[in-house]
Amino acid sequence: MLKKGIKLRHWRRLSQVLCFILFLFLFIKTDYSGSNELPYVVNILFRIDPFLAVSVSLASKALIYLMWPSLIFIGLTFIFGRFFCGWICPMGSLLDASHSFIPQTRPGNANRFRSFKFYLLGFLLIGAFLGLPAAGYFDPFSILVRGLALSVYPALNVLATSFFTFTYLQMPAWVNMLTEPMYAFLKETILPFLQNHHDLAFLSFFILVTIFILERLERRFFCRSTCPVGAVYAIVARFSLMRGKGGTKCGKCRNCMTVCRMGAIDEERHISPLDCNLCMDCVDMCPGNKISFGFQQKEVARPVFALSRRTFLSSLALGTALPFFLDTRTMAKSPDPYLIRPPGALPEHEFLGRCVRCGECMKVCIGNGLQPTFLSAGIEGLFSPRLQARTGYCEYNCTLCGQVCPTGALAELTLAQKHVTKIGNVFFDKNRCLPYAKGIPCIVCEEHCPTPDKAIQFREGQVLNSKNEMIWVKQPYVIDERCIGCGICETKCPLPGRSAVRVTSAGENRNPQNALPAQSLLY
Amino acid sequence: MDRRDFIKQVLLWSAGISTSIPSFRIGSELLAAEKAPPVVSHAKGKNYYDLVARVLEPLGGIGKYVKTGDHVVIKPNMAWDRSPDQAANTHPLVVKALVEHSLDAGAKKIMVFDRTCNEQRRCYVNSGIQQAMESIKDKRLAYYHPDTRKFVPVNIERGKAVNRLEIYRDAIEADTYINVPIAKHHSLSKLTLGLKNSMGVLGGNRGNMHHNLGQKLADLATVIRPKLTLIDATRILLRNGPQGGDLDDVKILDTLVASADPVAGDAFATTLFNMQPDAIPSTVAAYKMGLGEMHLDRMQIIQA
Repeated sequence: MLKKGIKLRHWRRLSQVLCFILFLFLFIKTDYSGSNELPYVVNILFRIDPFLAVSVSLASKALIYLMWPSLIFIGLTFIFGRFFCGWICPMGSLLDASHSFIPQTRPGNANRFRSFKFYLLGFLLIGAFLGLPAAGYFDPFSILVRGLALSVYPALNVLATSFFTFTYLQMPAWVNMLTEPMYAFLKETILPFLQNHHDLAFLSFFILVTIFILERLERRFFCRSTCPVGAVYAIVARFSLMRGKGGTKCGKCRNCMTVCRMGAIDEERHISPLDCNLCMDCVDMCPGNKISFGFQQKEVARPVFALSRRTFLSSLALGTALPFFLDTRTMAKSPDPYLIRPPGALPEHEFLGRCVRCGECMKVCIGNGLQPTFLSAGIEGLFSPRLQARTGYCEYNCTLCGQVCPTGALAELTLAQKHVTKIGNVFFDKNRCLPYAKGIPCIVCEEHCPTPDKAIQFREGQVLNSKNEMIWVKQPYVIDERCIGCGICETKCPLPGRSAVRVTSAGENRNPQNALPAQSLLY
Repeated sequence: MDRRDFIKQVLLWSAGISTSIPSFRIGSELLAAEKAPPVVSHAKGKNYYDLVARVLEPLGGIGKYVKTGDHVVIKPNMAWDRSPDQAANTHPLVVKALVEHSLDAGAKKIMVFDRTCNEQRRCYVNSGIQQAMESIKDKRLAYYHPDTRKFVPVNIERGKAVNRLEIYRDAIEADTYINVPIAKHHSLSKLTLGLKNSMGVLGGNRGNMHHNLGQKLADLATVIRPKLTLIDATRILLRNGPQGGDLDDVKILDTLVASADPVAGDAFATTLFNMQPDAIPSTVAAYKMGLGEMHLDRMQIIQA
């Protein structure tokens, strides 16, 4: 209390703030920037995540080279312990920052759920290996980025737009002299270029908010009890070289136990490296200066995981058994035809294994075409990206989603590859399509079709219109060999409600089972 | 109906003071039955900066259309995510030359924008027009993406197929509106020229324009009346329009066509594709509404 100058925890806080700013910066830069190549490694947060690296590697039964940066953090954790959780993790920083705004229900550190994260980790990893990829539902960065990308960030833009529209339309000119430059500045810096709209916006938001609500139970509840990344780091930290040494025979003050946000200090003032995230509060708060961190502290007690063998085995058993139920569903036999995966997506099973539901592709999708899947890909496909072509289409000359995918679930395509990657095929509904159904000229679809030799063509046809006149109109049709399933026709179809032309996954390159009927070889 | 009065209505509506939708009825003086034959100028050349000046000379030069202190809208076609050589968007050098000549003529403010079909940033960048505009270091030039708050509903009183459209405010309020389309193939309207390019100032669901496109474009032309139409035929797209993508569909002509009569300009440019003006429904519809001349023999066609 009486120490002067900059304390250790100030350095920690500085690191948290800087890392969080970096995180936000990269989040905002996950966008088209005037060239098709992204200038920053916007997905780095996911690529340094050892939990995702292990899970994704297990799921695809191969080492995912994209995830190599996670090894750096494994190494650093082996030296320093769970410093990542205290000094870097943007989710942890947000929880720390919001702590004083969230009232706690009861004081004290009840660490009853501490072991849960290890059971969960076991379940997730064995599930990933056997075909139930659920890593993205619990990974803190997936929850955070997804929540921001699908709900918070678009909502921020709605807020700004409605405010500045109000001032623009209703306020006198002198107010606009102030607000318009402000709006322009915000658009230039932090606001998204366009308003995005997303499925599951509320669900993603609630999952994110839940982590903050859990903060009511105890500080950093998620980090202590649930976080699978924290669990991986805890296992590594078990062998870490640097250890905290608590005060022994130091009296009754218990300051350190009270301030410890991770509940890592027990009655004997042992600091457990499994939980300690090196926030350094205890070092600064100890009135007797008895707490220190160092490399040669042989007298430090061995940390214990305190797992129940029975529960752990049960969670493994659950992770082993559940995947086999997945193939009993009808979707194993006939997948949803409107489940259109982004270009470069691996075959469905491998795709879901690698996809960590981070939402980066949906954030970067320049046409707002990628949406999170709800249940049409099964419970293991929740939040995975799909093209919903009525809300937005896949831009012909854009390859951004493959660039931001941290795990290679979407392969990074060159523009030339993208141009010939067929993600689906369109079908016309002649009962709705105006030239067929009503004899009204239209062919907006043909106008927008982006392939150099248009996949959508038209022929003159005779139709009886609603006035009983026989007229000639141009009627569109699709040439399957040229259609790549980008969906711009579905987006732009001027009919209100459901489009008269719809993309389905039929003919997608990644699934030979889904080939279109043809009289001769198509591809 | 007087144009000034119309702009006043737009201002009142935009400021939320008036709730009545601005209406526009084209004045009878513009529709006089007997007019002098319109001048259509065309010129060929490789240097597009000089070419723009040359093609405008028979029309009286840029100074006739851009006066000192004018707010000028220059409306190119940059609707597609395509490169300049693919002939889907107006050539960036033509737009640049026109902006520079207008600046020299004393324009107070020049606005360049388009409501695109592909993603807007990609269109601005890949059309080459953004880069061309960036290279003009003049604070009077503003190129920007349309702001959704600035589309104003307008009653088209003389409209035959459409009676209300959302139109971008800057396009309505400008002292001088210069239309700079590219001449290219379009499967529904056959060609896209000046009248079709005006769709870039529309908000809302533009797909609906396609049901009876020719007449609706003519209706729009009663409100959006460019003082000058400069048609870019430096390279034209012959097939797979309006966005192309295949260089085999592109023909290099190095030609510009200019006219103060929006219909006459379109009519003449049609001949570049070996077609007759009456093949284009919007030209015919606009002519029938008295918006301009479509008969080549009643124009003064000058090669500059």
